[in-house]
Amino acid sequence: MEIVAENLTFTYSAQTKRLAFRALDGVSVDIKEGEFFGIIGRTGSGKTTFVQHLNGLIKVQKDSGRLLIGDYDLTAKKCDYKSLRAKVGMLFQYPEHQLFAETVFDDVAFALRNFAPKLTEKEVTVRVKEALELTGLTFDRVKDKSPFDLSGGQKRRVAIAGVIVAKPEILVLDEPAAGLDPKGKREFLELLQRLHKDFVKTIIIVSHDMNLVAEYCTGAAVFSGGKILAAKTPKEIFSDGELIKESGLDLPLTASLTEGLKKRGVTADNDFTADGFVESVCRALNIGGKTR
Amino acid sequence: MRDVAFGSYFPAESFVHKMDARAKILIAIAYMVAVFLVSAFHFLGFAACLLFVIIATCVSKVPFLRVIKSIKTIIFFVLFSAILQLFFNKQGTVLWWIITDVGLINAGFIVARIVLIVLGASLLTLTTSPVELADGIEGLLYPLKWIKFPVHEFALIMSIALRFIPTLIDETDRIIKAQKARGADFESGNIFKRAKALIPVLIPLLISSFRRADELADAMDSRCYAGSKNRTRYKKMKLTFRDLIGVLFVAGLIVGIVYLNGFYALSGLAEIAGAL
Repeated sequence: MEIVAENLTFTYSAQTKRLAFRALDGVSVDIKEGEFFGIIGRTGSGKTTFVQHLNGLIKVQKDSGRLLIGDYDLTAKKCDYKSLRAKVGMLFQYPEHQLFAETVFDDVAFALRNFAPKLTEKEVTVRVKEALELTGLTFDRVKDKSPFDLSGGQKRRVAIAGVIVAKPEILVLDEPAAGLDPKGKREFLELLQRLHKDFVKTIIIVSHDMNLVAEYCTGAAVFSGGKILAAKTPKEIFSDGELIKESGLDLPLTASLTEGLKKRGVTADNDFTADGFVESVCRALNIGGKTR
Repeated sequence: MRDVAFGSYFPAESFVHKMDARAKILIAIAYMVAVFLVSAFHFLGFAACLLFVIIATCVSKVPFLRVIKSIKTIIFFVLFSAILQLFFNKQGTVLWWIITDVGLINAGFIVARIVLIVLGASLLTLTTSPVELADGIEGLLYPLKWIKFPVHEFALIMSIALRFIPTLIDETDRIIKAQKARGADFESGNIFKRAKALIPVLIPLLISSFRRADELADAMDSRCYAGSKNRTRYKKMKLTFRDLIGVLFVAGLIVGIVYLNGFYALSGLAEIAGAL
């Protein structure tokens, strides 16, 4: 499913003029199927408001542009939000705070039972098992536990399983790695890659972590003051000094290093992924062989 | 959820806003007593109370609409009591169908009473921030220390509760969204189904409240909070000429109503004593 937003605008507290706040101001973007798309920008730049439009948690306001997601027209009068939400999964910040059920199994099955009430218990079990194992948990060991007895990292995995169990085509993640330790973060990113490869088609990720964006994203949109300053590949974004300054973003480590090398007279043109950086430096310095 | 106008403090720089919270609470209570003192068949007393609210609103710079809006929340209650009086009061002469003249007057009387009291109370919350309100109540309850009532702790509980309402509203909003994203449906089905649909919201909310309470307790401990002992205030409450004017004003209202009522006021007092 392709996402097309045209001139999307959103105002909070639109009725009371004194409190009205324009969070989105004419946002246009096109996210193709299969992308690993980053949404970056400072706090309060409209990122969260934008992604919450994508599954109808925030409804498109009247005369505020167009939003198409696959065959769903979210600007139309009637839109089947429930079936849309089955196809566009969303994981919030600190998703473990949404756990509620008595057992891990029931919590993960929650979305499935909502979206596909006709499934038999057997089918539900198969899907829940699949989702839990995808996140790296052992089904038999956790299914009957209370989600509140798990460790922080495990809770987050259960929460993720609770979203991907519905087999969404698009997965939207809002700051998914916040509050994870380095190991947890690495495992989480590996999980995302695994998911992107053979489970969900499109991943949209809101993140402040530019290293993550440079390493994994195929494209990214830079938000600032409710507008999109640019939507292009991470390489293009991080080589655009003007844009970085205007949006107040950090550079990924690789880009800072490339710049530092440039000042020393070493030109290493690369795409700012770790591998790309190493490759280009070796080429520039004429050292090292090919990777094993 | 974000638009919920709870407590609905209306920030402004005005005579009423600058009054001492203790005086304002006392005046509000006196005003309510005045409203109760107005006995039936003496509607002029209500007019005096209305005038009091109107003047106070003018002085407070709160828009009239904001004050009037406060009635919206109790409109059902008001209508219900009025209808009860209209149709079930069998005293007096029948005017039309089963509606009697006494019933009609009583209905009007009850509506006027409730509306006037709510107007006065909402003017108090509109012009007094929750923190000031809690401080004011603490100040007023201070004499209870004599009987070992933990006044400071009580006020603290109150201000914490008030402080966390917006936080909890935000939290609820977030959890509702997260569960909606997982296909939860809060809008359809019968009342039992809807009540059941709230479980996935209430449990995370409860858990996060406990977590917040723990964090708050730790934060207070780490700042060496130890209750009311040796605690000084950043903002000292002070009575000023404004409070005197307010007190005189409400005293005038009460005297006026007593005068209007004549000896009926005495039965009004007896009624209050009976209700207590």
